[in-house]
Amino acid sequence: SSYQLSSVPLQILFYINGIYYIFYFLATLAMIVYKSEVFSYPDDFLAPDLALLFIMAILEVLRLYLAFCFLRGSKGNLTEEEAPLGLSLVMTVGSVILSVYFLVWQTYVLKADVVLNALLLFTYGLESVLKVGAIAAFV
Amino acid sequence: PPETRAPARTHSGPAPVTDVAKLCVCDLLVAQCDVNCCCDPDCSAADFSLFTTCSVPIVTGDSRLCSQKAAIYSLDVEANPPERIFKLIDQVNPSLFCIHATNYKEALSFRSPQMPTSENFDQLLKEFEGVTFSAEPDSWNMNTDAQSPSDANETYRYEYGVPIQTVDAFLRLPSPVVSSWCSDANPAGFLVNQATKCTRSVSVETCGNIQAVSMLFYINSSILAVPKSSQMVNITVQSVVVQSLNGMWTLLNSSDVLRLPMILDELCINIVLGVSYHITYTDAGEIIEAAASFVLGAINKEALSIQQSFEISFTQVNTKPVPLSGNPGYVVGLPVRAGFRPQGYPFPVEILFNTNKYGQLTVLQSTSNQDCLAAQGARTPVLFGYNMVSGCKLRITAAMKCQPLTQTLLDLLKGQTFPEYVASFGNSRAQDVLDWVPITHFQTSEQRIYNTFQSSCQIPISLEIEVKWTKYGSLVNPQARIVNVTATITTTTLKQLPSGRERTIPITSSVVFTDISSPAEPGYKAWPTINVKLPFDFFFPFV
Repeated sequence: SSYQLSSVPLQILFYINGIYYIFYFLATLAMIVYKSEVFSYPDDFLAPDLALLFIMAILEVLRLYLAFCFLRGSKGNLTEEEAPLGLSLVMTVGSVILSVYFLVWQTYVLKADVVLNALLLFTYGLESVLKVGAIAAFV
Repeated sequence: PPETRAPARTHSGPAPVTDVAKLCVCDLLVAQCDVNCCCDPDCSAADFSLFTTCSVPIVTGDSRLCSQKAAIYSLDVEANPPERIFKLIDQVNPSLFCIHATNYKEALSFRSPQMPTSENFDQLLKEFEGVTFSAEPDSWNMNTDAQSPSDANETYRYEYGVPIQTVDAFLRLPSPVVSSWCSDANPAGFLVNQATKCTRSVSVETCGNIQAVSMLFYINSSILAVPKSSQMVNITVQSVVVQSLNGMWTLLNSSDVLRLPMILDELCINIVLGVSYHITYTDAGEIIEAAASFVLGAINKEALSIQQSFEISFTQVNTKPVPLSGNPGYVVGLPVRAGFRPQGYPFPVEILFNTNKYGQLTVLQSTSNQDCLAAQGARTPVLFGYNMVSGCKLRITAAMKCQPLTQTLLDLLKGQTFPEYVASFGNSRAQDVLDWVPITHFQTSEQRIYNTFQSSCQIPISLEIEVKWTKYGSLVNPQARIVNVTATITTTTLKQLPSGRERTIPITSSVVFTDISSPAEPGYKAWPTINVKLPFDFFFPFV
């Protein structure tokens, strides 16, 4: 029964998260470029937004790597360890904060930004619930 | 429909108006109703009933916002009387890229300019004093400083219009500014031939003190051969002419001696009345020689002011100065250049012309007494573009013989030396013979008698010079070019008068300039063609 605990929905969600994040990153970057052309976007406001976007990308890559690789394990079996999953959950908090930044505290929040970030937050929320559930199943 | 009347607005400077209900762009007249301005708070319901449309139907903020308030004004023409409808609605922008929120305060409004205070005044001045505003004013200064050390190795040279520098300041050519009094602050520009006349106040008592009437003032400072260099060219005195009190000019033999103003017998002599500078330059923009010719005069006790005339002319080294009437096309108002072909050569090598540019092509000049025979010799130059008519009256007596009279009239009309060729361009050189247009002569008779063998006498009574010119060259800067010149002499029969009788006939000469330019056609370059040709032995083994 320990195999069932490696929840397949969680894995699927991680894949979806990864693909969606790539799209999210490219879309947000393109929109920042668009905003800097169309609106008045001075450098002191543009730099933090771009920096935080790249930090978020790095954080996301790390988080998903942790979540995937440690879930798969080197033996090819699905090893279930709660430590990397717990670390991944903690990193999710960071990603959530950054996503909230892009939703609320960005220099220009367009309707597209709202939609993208809302979807990302929903994904994170679902992921977190499933991760908590998975960790609780081990403990 | 509810109507909101906004209270009288106070004029606030920098604070932006964000309430769309209070914003009205067509309200231009203060305290008066603007016609067809539905948002004007000064209009009453009676005024609204007279409007035909609303010139401003909607007032919104930035349309890029996702949701914003909009004030909509319209006229309800169905109602009697027509009334204005005002609605305040929330306008939604359906675009996906509408601005949901901003965290940048000045995002959607123009930044109010900084108020200058004593702290930021210098910085504001540096930023905004130039022709262009730069966000980093220091970078501009740094660039120009970086350029000048490298330019120090580059040699400077004079360019057209640049003031000629002397050791202390600039070469001065006093000229009248605003009034006719001389101002000594007019610099002479390189290659700008100038001639000015101005009045200077001077009297016998003060003639020694005024610098500008002494020769020394004009030859004192040496001219720099190139700008910003230490190479100097001294101004030499080429000739000195002394003008006596009654206006007679005497050329002095020795022009080395500097003649300063001095008082002699209640007159002040050696006052500078005119200076003429001749500057010789090379084609590299360097001045190599400067010479000044002076006209010195004298003033007596009654004189309070003198008129000084100044002139500067530039000659390139190793060339002879040729007066141009345009470069290359003729300039309206400058004399038409004309000359002769020297005899004795099978084909013309060079055209010879009078060095006095006003004496090359001339016509009869009308004088006040209108008597042809009394006014012999008065000629007026033909200026390009100026049609002229001149004439005089000839009194014919019975005693006059035909042939001498004909010759006299021809001399009168054509002048002593009537040229054979006219320059096609204002800067045609004497060596380019093909640039000179021959003058075609025609002769017509007034009476239209086709029998050429006249027993009676034919005397010329009018000369008409017709100059046909065309616009030549580019569409935006056409140059005038003379294409054809014809000189038509009209003759009339001189009937023999009974003795004692006199007859007066008018003699006229006219110059007409006709523009025969064909309409301009814009020319386009040919489309580039792809020129692909295989080499001769491309198919070597087979062909």
